[in-house]
Amino acid sequence: MATETTNTAPAAPSATTAEITPLPAFSPDLYQRAWASIPHPSLPLIATCHAHSVTVFSLSTLSKHSVLTGGHTRSVRSAAWQPPRGKVSGKEAKRLRLVTGSFDTTAGVWTWDQGRREERLEREIRLQSGEDNKEAEEEEEAEDEWELTLVLEGHENEVKSVNYSPSGQYLATCSRDKSVWIWEDVGNPNPSSEEEEEEEEEEDEDEWETVAVLQEHDGDVKAVAWCPDVPGRKGKYAPPRRYGDDVLASASYDNTVRLWREDGDGEWVCVAVLEGHEGTVWGVAWEGRPKENDKYPRLLSWGADEVIRVWSLKEPEEEEHREGAAGGGNNPWGFGVPNTMRRSLKEEWECTAVLPKVHKGDIYSVAWSTETGLLASVGSDGVLALYQETANTTGKTEENETNGDAPMITSAGGWEVLTTVKGAHGPYEINHITWCKRYDAGSERKGEEEMLVTTGDDGVVRPWQVRIQ
Amino acid sequence: MAKSDLDNANPTVLSVSQLPSRNLAKGHVRKGPDSKYDHILFPKQWWAGSSLNTDPSVWTSDEDEDDDLTLATEEPIDEQEIYGENYDPSSCTYLLSTISDPEHPVTLGQIAVVRLDDIHLSPSPAERLDPNTLTNVEVDLTPTVNHCSLATVIGLAVRVRLENALPPNYRIVVRMKDGSHAQDDQVNKQLGDKERVAAALENDTLKGIIEKMLETCV
Repeated sequence: MATETTNTAPAAPSATTAEITPLPAFSPDLYQRAWASIPHPSLPLIATCHAHSVTVFSLSTLSKHSVLTGGHTRSVRSAAWQPPRGKVSGKEAKRLRLVTGSFDTTAGVWTWDQGRREERLEREIRLQSGEDNKEAEEEEEAEDEWELTLVLEGHENEVKSVNYSPSGQYLATCSRDKSVWIWEDVGNPNPSSEEEEEEEEEEDEDEWETVAVLQEHDGDVKAVAWCPDVPGRKGKYAPPRRYGDDVLASASYDNTVRLWREDGDGEWVCVAVLEGHEGTVWGVAWEGRPKENDKYPRLLSWGADEVIRVWSLKEPEEEEHREGAAGGGNNPWGFGVPNTMRRSLKEEWECTAVLPKVHKGDIYSVAWSTETGLLASVGSDGVLALYQETANTTGKTEENETNGDAPMITSAGGWEVLTTVKGAHGPYEINHITWCKRYDAGSERKGEEEMLVTTGDDGVVRPWQVRIQ
Repeated sequence: MAKSDLDNANPTVLSVSQLPSRNLAKGHVRKGPDSKYDHILFPKQWWAGSSLNTDPSVWTSDEDEDDDLTLATEEPIDEQEIYGENYDPSSCTYLLSTISDPEHPVTLGQIAVVRLDDIHLSPSPAERLDPNTLTNVEVDLTPTVNHCSLATVIGLAVRVRLENALPPNYRIVVRMKDGSHAQDDQVNKQLGDKERVAAALENDTLKGIIEKMLETCV
C-alpha cells in the first residue's frame, strides 16, 4: 500500500514497479469526443471540454457538478482555472473562474454564480473532509450557475489553448492564426496583495488588456504553458534578472517550441527556439517541482513524431565564460548596464533527454507529476505510459528484462518506462492526461494521493489509480 | 439479396443521413445552429447495429464459404470494401469510390482519384482477431492535376467518410500519392492533424461541400 515518492532516483532502474488500475469513470459519459480535463488547482473539481461545452465533474463524487453551455458556437478545445489569488483559505472558492478557448476564435471568461455556488462548495468541502452524507448524492441540475462574463476576441482562427500565469496576472491564448496573445488581468491590479476577506466579497472586475501579440511561429500554435512559480525560477540558475520571471512556452505545427519573456520594458520577446521535433509539437509542460530546489524548471515537449523531449536551460555561469561578459561582482550584466549594452536576450536551452519510445502514433498529452516527478503520456494509439527518471543520465539506451511478470523495461536518456496500459480507452484515441489529487471515497489519503485522469474520443473521462512499489 | 435486405435495420436505399458511422453518439442529441449537418457528419454508429452483424446472408450469399477472412469476424473489412468495387448497398461497404468529385459530376472512383491499389490495411484482415486491435488504413489519393486546389477538400471527404463508416479501432491516414501533388507535404500534414480536421468540420462552407460529395455514397 505504501506509495513511495520517487524524489530520490533509485540506483537500479528495475527497483521500482508500478501498477495502474482503472477506477470507475466519471459519470455521465459524454458520448462525444472530449478534448481535455483540467483539474482545479485546489478544489476537488475537474473541467472537461467537449463539443460547445465544458462539464465540471466533482472529484469527490466522480459525477457531474455543473455545466458551462451557451457561450461558444464551436467546440471548446481547452480550459484553464484562475489560480488562487493572494493569501487564501476556503475563501478562495469565491474566486471560482474558468477560461475557455474555442474553435469559434474566442476565449470565454466564466464566473460561478455567487449564491448557489457557496451552497455547492460547502458541500464539496464537506465531502472533501470526509463527512460523507446522503444529501450530497442529491445532485441537482446546475446548468445555470455558470455565467459567461467576458469574451476575449482578437484571434482570427480557432483558439487552441489557454493558460494562466502562476500569479493569475497574465493569460496566454494561442490559435491557428499562428499567434500567441498575452492578456493582462487589469481588473485585479494587485492579485498578490493581502485583501481583507470582506473585500473579497466584491466581484472582480472583468477587465483584460492585450499586452502582446506574438507572431513568430510559422504554423498553428497548438499549446501554451507558463512556467510554474517554483524556487528555481528565481534561483541562481535562472537567467540574469534583466526581465520578468514569467516565462511562457508555446508549441506549434511548425515543429518548434518557443519561449517568451517580458524584456523589462513591457515588451514580450522570444528568448529561445527549441528545435528537434520532426512533426507538429502537440504540447509542452513544465517541471512542477525540480528535484534540486534551486534548479531551473525543465520543459517537456511532445508531438506527432511520437517523441517526448526534455529541455534544460544552460546554466548562466557557462554563458558568462564563453561570452566573456565584462565586469566583476556577482551580477555582471545586471543593473546599471544600459539597454543597448546588454547582451542578447536569448537563452540557451538544450534537449537533455529523449524518453524511451512507447507510442505508435501522435502523442497528444503528457503530464508531469509535481508530487513524484513521474511522467504519464497518451496518444492516438490508445496507450497510457508511465515513466520515471533514473540515475542513468548518460543518455544511452538500455533494455533489460525484469523478473516476474513485469513487461520489459526500457530506459533511455535517464528515463525508464515503468508500465503501460494498452487500449486504455478501448479502441479510441486518448486526447489528454493529467495528474490530480484523489478526493473520492475509495482513497485512503484524500487530498494527498495522486491519480491520473485520461480523456478520450469516446467521451469517457477516466481516473486511474497509480501504485508505485 | 432483395429478401435479406428487407430484414436489415438499414433500408436498401440509404439516405444521406443514414450513412454508416463510427461515432459513439448513441442517445445523444446535438443542439445548436452549427450542428445542422451533424446528422451527416456524425451519424449514429452502425457496427453495433444489425446490418452487418446479424445478417450473415449478406456475406454467405456473395462470398466463398471457405473464405475465413470474410466470415471469421464481425467486421471483415478489406481494401476492396473500402474502395467499394463490388457495389452492395446492404453491407455498407461502399465507402470511397462513390464519393463525388467536388467539381465534376463524376465519382472519385471514375476519375481514379481513389484507386484500389492505393488502399492499404495493416495488419491484414487475417491477423485481426480482437476488435480492439488497432488497424491502419492508408489511402493514397491521386489528384487529377498536380496543383489541384481541391486536394485538401477531397482528402477531407475521404477521411470523413472513413471515420464515419469504420469502427473506432481504425486509424486513418489519407495522403496525396508521392509526387502527385505540388504541396504533398502540406496537404498530408493537414489531413493528418486531428485538431484541424475537427475544426474544418465545424466550418459550414466546408461541411456543405463535403455533404454534397458524400450524397452519392448511397
